[in-house]
Amino acid sequence: MTRSDSRYVGASVRSKEAPRHVTGRGRFVDDLVLPRMLHAFVLRSPYAHARIVSANAGRAAHATGVYGVITPDDVVRLTTPFKPGRYAAGLRVPVPEYATAVGKVRYVGEPVAMVAASSRPEAEDALELIDVEYEPLPAIVTTEAAAAPDATLIYDELGTNVAWQGHVSFGDVDAAFARADRVVSANLGIHRYSSTPLEPFACLVDPTPERLTLYCNCQNPEVVYEAITEALGIDGVRVAVPDVGGGFGQKIHLIRKYAVLTALMAVQTGRPVKWIEDRSEHMMAAGHSCDQEFDVEAAVRNDGEVLGLRIADTDDVGGSVSTLTIHFTNKLNNLFNTYRVQNLRLEGRSVLTNKCPVVPNRGIGKPGMCFIWERMMDAVAQELGLDPIAVRRRNLVTQDQFPYTTPNGNIIGSGDYQGLLDRALKNIGYEDIRAQQKTGNDRLIGIGVVIGLEPGGRNAARDMAIFPKSKQMPGAGGVEGATVKIEKNGSVVFTLGAPSCGQSHETTAAQIVADVLGIPPDRISASGGWDSSLSPWGVSCANSGNNFHLYDIGAVHGAAMRVREKVLTLAAHLLKVDRSALDLRDGIVGRVPSAAPNSSADGPATITFAELGKIAYANQALLPEGFEGGLEATYYHSHPHADPGMLPDETGRVRAQYTFGSAAHAALVEVDPGTGRVKVLRYVIVSDNGTMINPSVVDGQIYGSAAHGISVALGEGFVYGDDGQLLTLTLLDYGKSTTLETPRIEIEHHPVPDPYTTLGQKAAGEGAAIPSPAAIASAVENALSPFGARVRRLPLTPERVWNLMHVSR
Amino acid sequence: MTHSVRITVNGEAYEGDVEPRALLVQFLREQLGLTGTHVGCVVGECGACSVLVDGVLVKSCLMLAVQANGREVTTIEGLRRGGRPHPVQEAFVNGFALQCGFCTPGFVMAAHALLARNPNPTEEEIRRDLSSNLCMCTGYVQIVEAVKSVGSDPGTGRHRGQTPERGDSTP
Amino acid sequence: MFPADFDYVVPRSVDEAVAMLVHYGDDAKVLAGGQSLIPMMKLRIASPRVLIDVNGIAELAGLRRDGDRLVLGALCRHADVAASPLVREHLPLMHDAAQLTADVQVRNRGTVAGSLAHADPAGDWPAALLALDTHVTVAGPDGTRTVPLAAFLVDAYTTQLGANELITQVAVGIPPGRTGGAYAKFERRAGDFAVASAGVQVTLDEAGRCAAVAISCGAVAPSPFRARAAEAMLAGQALSEDLLAQAEHAVRDEASPFADTRGSVEYKRHLAGVLVRRACVAALARARGERVDTLHL
Repeated sequence: MTRSDSRYVGASVRSKEAPRHVTGRGRFVDDLVLPRMLHAFVLRSPYAHARIVSANAGRAAHATGVYGVITPDDVVRLTTPFKPGRYAAGLRVPVPEYATAVGKVRYVGEPVAMVAASSRPEAEDALELIDVEYEPLPAIVTTEAAAAPDATLIYDELGTNVAWQGHVSFGDVDAAFARADRVVSANLGIHRYSSTPLEPFACLVDPTPERLTLYCNCQNPEVVYEAITEALGIDGVRVAVPDVGGGFGQKIHLIRKYAVLTALMAVQTGRPVKWIEDRSEHMMAAGHSCDQEFDVEAAVRNDGEVLGLRIADTDDVGGSVSTLTIHFTNKLNNLFNTYRVQNLRLEGRSVLTNKCPVVPNRGIGKPGMCFIWERMMDAVAQELGLDPIAVRRRNLVTQDQFPYTTPNGNIIGSGDYQGLLDRALKNIGYEDIRAQQKTGNDRLIGIGVVIGLEPGGRNAARDMAIFPKSKQMPGAGGVEGATVKIEKNGSVVFTLGAPSCGQSHETTAAQIVADVLGIPPDRISASGGWDSSLSPWGVSCANSGNNFHLYDIGAVHGAAMRVREKVLTLAAHLLKVDRSALDLRDGIVGRVPSAAPNSSADGPATITFAELGKIAYANQALLPEGFEGGLEATYYHSHPHADPGMLPDETGRVRAQYTFGSAAHAALVEVDPGTGRVKVLRYVIVSDNGTMINPSVVDGQIYGSAAHGISVALGEGFVYGDDGQLLTLTLLDYGKSTTLETPRIEIEHHPVPDPYTTLGQKAAGEGAAIPSPAAIASAVENALSPFGARVRRLPLTPERVWNLMHVSR
Repeated sequence: MTHSVRITVNGEAYEGDVEPRALLVQFLREQLGLTGTHVGCVVGECGACSVLVDGVLVKSCLMLAVQANGREVTTIEGLRRGGRPHPVQEAFVNGFALQCGFCTPGFVMAAHALLARNPNPTEEEIRRDLSSNLCMCTGYVQIVEAVKSVGSDPGTGRHRGQTPERGDSTP
Repeated sequence: MFPADFDYVVPRSVDEAVAMLVHYGDDAKVLAGGQSLIPMMKLRIASPRVLIDVNGIAELAGLRRDGDRLVLGALCRHADVAASPLVREHLPLMHDAAQLTADVQVRNRGTVAGSLAHADPAGDWPAALLALDTHVTVAGPDGTRTVPLAAFLVDAYTTQLGANELITQVAVGIPPGRTGGAYAKFERRAGDFAVASAGVQVTLDEAGRCAAVAISCGAVAPSPFRARAAEAMLAGQALSEDLLAQAEHAVRDEASPFADTRGSVEYKRHLAGVLVRRACVAALARARGERVDTLHL
C-alpha cells in the first residue's frame, strides 16, 4: 500500500468495539466467573502514617466463608520485594517495597492485608475481624513540612524526606540570563488529581497446575507480569487483559500490588480468586498525579524573545519511592514546548509525604511543562506590555526549522505552529473578542490562547536521562509486534502487541490491515483480548506513552505487508501470472485490469482469500516450492529513526519520545462575579495529529483529553486534611465534571504528516489534556483583568476565583 | 434470612431467593449473568448501573434486589427489539459515542429514558439530563451528538426507539 | 461495598409500619427512596438490623391538592414534584428545588419526606420548604401529629421524629395571588449537595410592595434557617436594588456556616447573600407574573 491508495485509512470507519459495548456484551474482568472462585477484599490503613505493631488474622480466618487471610508477615515470608523500575530512576538507595505495607503505613488506604471468602459480602464482613494494632506517627502532608530538618522520616533508609534532587540543563543558561533585558518570574502550582477510569482495578487469578493465569485490567501488562514472576519466584505466569474500562495511566503501576496479592491468595487457597477494587479504594490508593510547584524565571529581551528559562520544580510524590521521578522525567518529553528557546535549566526535588503515591496519568509531567511555558508567555507579555499572541509567535519553532532538534535531544519531524495559532485565533474570533473587551461592559469575559505538544512513542531509556551513568537501562528505544493471519475461510484476524483501554485499537488497526490486504474491515477482526502467551509484545507493549500510533500501527502494518507478500506469491503461482500483474481488492486477488497478460491467458483470472486459505493451510501439493504454509506473519516494529539519541548522553540529552503532534487551544470563559464560577463559553482546538487513520476516533481522543484538562483546571482534584485523611473519596467530592460543566469542544484538524512514521501518523491520545489547563488559566486571568489578578495556581474553583477578585479588590 | 422474589427481567420472569442485602445490580450481574450493567462507584454517583424498573430509570446500586419483587426490570441486554439494536444503541455506534464502553450501558439507558420522556430534546436538555452519568473517556461531545441524532418521528411524535407499551423489553 | 446483614420487612399499611417500628425500636430504619440510606449502609455508616420498606403502602404515594394545601404523601418522589403542573403553577419554589435536587435517577426514587427526615444541612428540601407554609404529619403508636417544619427540624441530621414514628405526609400551603417564589442553589457540580442555597417566597400588595416575605437559607448553618433580619428589612417595602443589597448583607451576618471541602466560612456567608438576592429577584418577577426559568448557577 502506498499513502495515495488508501481506501479505509483516513475514513471514519464504523467502530468495531462499539457494537458489543452498547449491547452490554463487553467483557471486563468483573464479568468473568470461574468455578469455585473466591472473592477477596483488601484491608487498608486508616492512618496516614503509623507503625504496624501487629497484624493478626486469627479471628478473620475462622469467620464464616473465609478461606484465606494474608498479612504483612505472610507477604514478607512468601514474596520478594518489587525491583525499582524506570519510574524510580532517581532512587539511589535500595528500599524494599512489597505488595502490602510492611512495618509502617505511609498513606491512608495503603494495603495492609487481604481476605478471601466464598462471597463478597462475607469477605467484607471478615475484614473487620483482622486485628491490626497501629502506633500513629505524625502525618506529613506538605513538602515544606516534609523537608523541614526535624521532620519525621517517612523512609528511615533514606535519611531525608527529600528523596531525590537533581537537574537537567541545556544550552548556556547563565549567559542567557546575563544578556537578558529583564527577568520575569512567577511561582506556579498544579494540584493533585488523577484520571479516575470508571472501571476500578480488577484482578482474577486462576491457579492451574500448568501456570497462574491473571486476568487483569492493566494498561502495561509487563508490569504485572514481571511483578508476579519476581514476587512469587515462578515463571509459569500468563497475563490476560480483556476489555479495560479506561486507563489513562492509572492502571500501569500500583495495580501490581493487587496482582501479587491476588496471585498469592490463589496460590495459598488453591482456588481462583477475584479482587475488585471499589471507588473509594481507587480514590485513596490507586495513585494520583503529584502536587507540583514551580519557581520559574524567564530571561527575556524587550522585544519578547525568551532567551532562557530557569525552573525549580518541587514534586510531592506521596508515600512511596517507587515512582520517585516519574513526573520529573516526563517533562523531558516537551521540555521546550513549541518554542525554539535554547537555554533551560530544570531543577527537581521529589519530596515524600503521607499522601497517595504518584502514578502516570493523562499527559503526566507534560501538562505541567506546558503550563510553565504558557503561563510564562502571558507573564512576559504583561511585563513587557506586549500582546500575548505576539510573544508566542516571536518564540515559536518556524517552518524552515523542521525537522527540529530540541536542545535536550528530541527530534520533531514536522509541524506548523504559526498555522495552528492562526486557525485557532480565526475560529474563536480573537480580534472581535479583543475589540469588544476594549469597548467595556460589566461581564467578566476572558480569552486565552495557548499552544502545546503531544509527544508520542516512548523511548524506554528516557527516564535514565537523570542517571545516564546507570549500568542498568530498563530497555531502550521501542519494540512491539503484531500478527496478521488470513484464516482458512478467507477472513482476517490480527493480534496486537499491546492491550487497548478504549482507544479503538481494533477499529484503527483493522483499517490498516484492510488497506494493505485489500479486504473490507468488516471481514477483519481482532483475535480477542491481550494474552501474554499469544500477543507478540516487546518493551513498547503499553497502553501508555502514546505508543499505539507508532509501534502497534507500525507492527500491524508490517505484519500485513508480510502476509500480502505471501498472498501475492501464492496467487501468482496458482494463477500462473507475474506477481506484479496482481492486485488485492475485496478479498480477491486478481489481475490488474491494465496489466498486460504475460503468461497463460486461459487460467482463472482471480482467486479469493478463502480459496487461498484452503490451499495455504490444507493442500501442500499446490504450494510453490519453498513456500511456508499458512498465511500468517508476525512483525516486530521499531521506530526506523530511533537513533541517534536512544541512550542518554552525559548531559541528559535523550530522545524522550519519537513523534510530536501539536495543537493550539483557545478558550472563551465568563466568570460569575457573585459566585466565582467559571463558565466555558467556547473551547476551540486546532490539532495536528499527522495523518489520521480514523478522524472520528481522533476526535474522540481530543474531546476526552481536553474535557479532562478543563475539568482539572476548574476544580477536579484531591484534597487532604491536615491529618493526612483524604477528604475527596467520591467522584462527587473529587469534582469530576459532568455533561453540564464540560463545554462543547470544537475541533479543526490541521494535519502535517510525520516524515518518519509508517503512514505519516502522529499520536492522538492524551494530547489535549496537556495544553487545556494552561488555556483555561490564561482565559480566566484575562477575564479577571479588571481586578489585576494573576492566575498562578490550579484549580480555579469558584472559591479561588472569588478570592482572586476579592483579594485584588 | 433470604426472601423469595419474582422479578421480570427483560421480559423473562425470574423466581428465586435473594439475601436482603443483595443490591439489584448484584442480582442482575451475579445471579442472572447480565453483566452489561456495570458498577463504577460506591454511592450512586456514576450512573453506570442505570436500569429501568417498571419503565423508570434508577441506579441499580441504590436499590435492593428484594425491592424489585413483582416488578419489571429492563437492562441494556433487553433493549434490543426483534433481534435488532435499539436506535439509541445504533446512534452510539454510528456516532463514536463511546471509548472504553464501561459507562456506555448506563448512558444508553439514561438516553433512552430521556428520549421516551422528551423525544426531541435540545442540547441543553440532553446535557442537563445526562449529568447523572459520568464518562471519563469521551468528553461527552459525541454522546450528546448521538442522542441528538436519534431525533423524533414526525408521524407519531415518538422517537424511533420508543415503543407504545410501557417498558421496552423483548424476550 | 455491601451493607452489613439485616432483616427486611414489608408493611402493607401505616398502622402495620408503626407496629413494626414499635417492635424493633432503634434497630430498625424506614426505607422509602433509599437514595441516602442505601449508600450509608454500603459504607457501613448505618447498619440497621431491620429495614422496614414502606414502598408498598399505597396511601403514602403521590401528591394532591387538598383545599388550600398541596399534600405530598411520604412516598412522593422528587420527580413527582418536578413533573407536577400544580406545583409549577402555584409553588415554583418547589419546582426549582425538585429540578435542582440530585440527578434524574435519584429524583425518580428519592422522596421529599425522606429528605426531611434525613435532615442533611445541605439538603434541598429542608431549606426550600422552610420558606413555605409547610407542616409535617407523623404517625406513631399514639396516633398522628402534625408539626410545622421549623419545629420538625432540630439540628443537623436531627429531627423531632421519634424512633417509633414515620412521616406520613408533608403539606404545603398554596399561596394567594401576586405571590412568587424561587429556590437558588450553588453546587460544586451538577447533582451535588448545596454549597449554599436560598428559598424566597414573596407576596406583593396591589401597589407592588412586599406584603409578605419568607427567606430561608440552606447549607450555611447546622440546620436551615429563616433569615429573619433580612425578612424584616424587606417586609412592607418597595423592593429596590438598594434594599436587596442591604438584605444580602444582612443574610451574610445571619449565616453561621462551617468550613469544609465545599468552601470556607467566609465564602459560604458571601454565597448565602448572593443566592438570597438572586432568588429574591426571581421570586419578585414571578410574583409579577413573569416567566422565570429555574436558576442554574
